[in-house]
Amino acid sequence: MDATFSQLAMLGSSLMLIFGLILLWRRRVPAYINAFTGQSVALAGVAGATGYFGTESELYWVAAFVLLLKGLVIPSLLRRMGRRFGSERELDPYVNTATSLLLAGLLVLFGYAVMRPLVVTSRLPTRASMALAMGLILVSLFVIVTRKKALTQVVGFLMLENGIALLAILGTYGIPLIVELGVFLDALLGFLVMQIFVYRIHETFETIDVEQLSRLRH
Amino acid sequence: MTADLMMAAAQGLLALFLAPGVVGLVRWLKARLQNRRGAPPWQPYRELRKLFQKEVVVSRHASWLFHLAPFVVFASTLAVAVIVPVLAVPLLVDRIGDLLVVVYLLLLGTFFLALAGLDPGSAFGGMGASREVTVAALAEPTLAVAIFALARSAGSTNLGEIAARTTADPLSAVSPGHLLAFAALFIVMLAETGRLPVDNPATHLELTMIHEAMVLEYSGRYLALIEWAAALKFLVFFILLGNLFVPWGLARALTLEAVMTAVGVFAVKVVVLAVAVAVLETRVAKLRLFRVPELLSASFVLALLAVTSSFLLR
Repeated sequence: MDATFSQLAMLGSSLMLIFGLILLWRRRVPAYINAFTGQSVALAGVAGATGYFGTESELYWVAAFVLLLKGLVIPSLLRRMGRRFGSERELDPYVNTATSLLLAGLLVLFGYAVMRPLVVTSRLPTRASMALAMGLILVSLFVIVTRKKALTQVVGFLMLENGIALLAILGTYGIPLIVELGVFLDALLGFLVMQIFVYRIHETFETIDVEQLSRLRH
Repeated sequence: MTADLMMAAAQGLLALFLAPGVVGLVRWLKARLQNRRGAPPWQPYRELRKLFQKEVVVSRHASWLFHLAPFVVFASTLAVAVIVPVLAVPLLVDRIGDLLVVVYLLLLGTFFLALAGLDPGSAFGGMGASREVTVAALAEPTLAVAIFALARSAGSTNLGEIAARTTADPLSAVSPGHLLAFAALFIVMLAETGRLPVDNPATHLELTMIHEAMVLEYSGRYLALIEWAAALKFLVFFILLGNLFVPWGLARALTLEAVMTAVGVFAVKVVVLAVAVAVLETRVAKLRLFRVPELLSASFVLALLAVTSSFLLR
C-alpha cells in the first residue's frame, strides 16, 4: 500500500518536473502553456492520490480546485495572452538551452542534497518525492531568472507556485483548506497583476522583452 | 551448456537476419502513414543482395583503414547483438559483457565509421564524421547513464541480470527511474541510429545529413556491410528498449514452449517500437543541426534524473 503510494507520488512529481524542464527546452508560447496545464493536472493527481492514501478528504477539494483554477482558468487566460504575444519567442535567453538543461540537472541534484536530512529522518511514504518538488522549485526559479520574455517568466512563476503546492501536499498531507484557498486566491491575484504588467510592458516598449526595462533609467 | 551456447548463437543470428526487415518495416509504415504505397518491408534484403553483387569502387586516396572499417563496424555491432538479451535470460554469454561493453562496442563502430569517413579526404565524409562524433560524444554517455539507472535498481550491470530482476519486481518497471531512463534511451536511439529529429534516414542529398555523408564514399559489399550493421544497431536499440524496460515474455528456461512464446512476444515488441518510430518520424520535422546538442543534453538530464531517483528509491 505504502509502496504503491510512494511510487505514485514519485511518478507524479517526476512528471511535474519534466513539464518544468519543457520550459527550458521549447521556445514557443503554446508549448509553455500546454506544459503548465499538464503540470497542473499532474499536481491535481498527486493531491488526489495523497487524499486517497492518506485518508484526507479535504485534499479532494484541493485537487478539484487545482484542476479548475490551474488546469482550466489560468491556462485559458494564458492562451489569450499567447494569442496576443505568442509571436515573440524565447530566442535569446541569458543562458543558452543546452547549458540551462545541464544546469537544471545540477539544480535538481542540489535539491536532493538540500532535502537529504529531511528524507532520511522522515517516515512519510512521500519522502522521496519531496526532493523532486524542491528540484522543481529551483528549476522554476532558474527559468524566471534566465528568461527574457515576460510571458515565460509568468509561466515560470506559476510553475514555482505549483512546486510549492506540491511540496506542501507531500510534506504535510495538505495544509488546512482555508489556507489552501487563500493561497489559490493569492496565486490568481498575483497572476492577474502580472498579466496587467505584461500588457503595460508591451504598451510601453512594443515588446515583452524585460531587458528593455533597463532603458527606463535614461 | 551446449543448449545455452546454441541459444546465444541462435538469437544473435535471429537479430542479424531480422534487422534489415525491421528497417524495411519502419520505412513501409512511414510510407503508409504518408499516403504513399511504399516498398514492401523486405526491400532492404533485396538492396543488400544487390549491393553484395556489385563491384567495389574505392578512392585512390583511401588507405587500408577504409577497407578495414566496414568489417570492424559489422563485427562490433554483431558482437553487441550476441550479448544483449534477445529471447532468453540468463544465458552464459551474459557473462561475456555487461552494459559497459555494449556501450563501448557501439562506440567502437562509430569511431571506425568516423575514421573511414575522414580517410578518403572527401569534403562530405569529413563533415559527416565531425557531426557524427559531435552527436556520439553526447549520446554515448547518455546511453551509459540511462542503462546505469536500471543497473542501479537491479544491483548489477549485467544486462541479463537487469532483465531478470525487473521481471521479478514488476512494480519497478513503472518507477520514475525506469520511465525517465526509457525516455532518455529513446532519444539516444533516434540520435545514434540517425532517425528523424536528428538525421534524415531517407535522403542522400541534404547538406545536413550525418550518417549518409560519412558513408558516401562506400560502394558494393562494403556499403552492404555498413548498411546491414546500421540496421542491426537499430534493432539492438529496439532490443535494449524492449527487453530491459519491459522484460516480460523473455524465456526463463530453455524449453521449446518458452522459446516460442519469447519469439512471439519479441515480435510484438519490435512491431510496437517500429510503429512508435514511424509515427514519430511522420510527425516531427528535422531539427536544425545546432538544436541537436540541446535535444541530447535534454536526454542526458533525463538520464541523470533517472539515476538520482533510482539511488533515492533504494
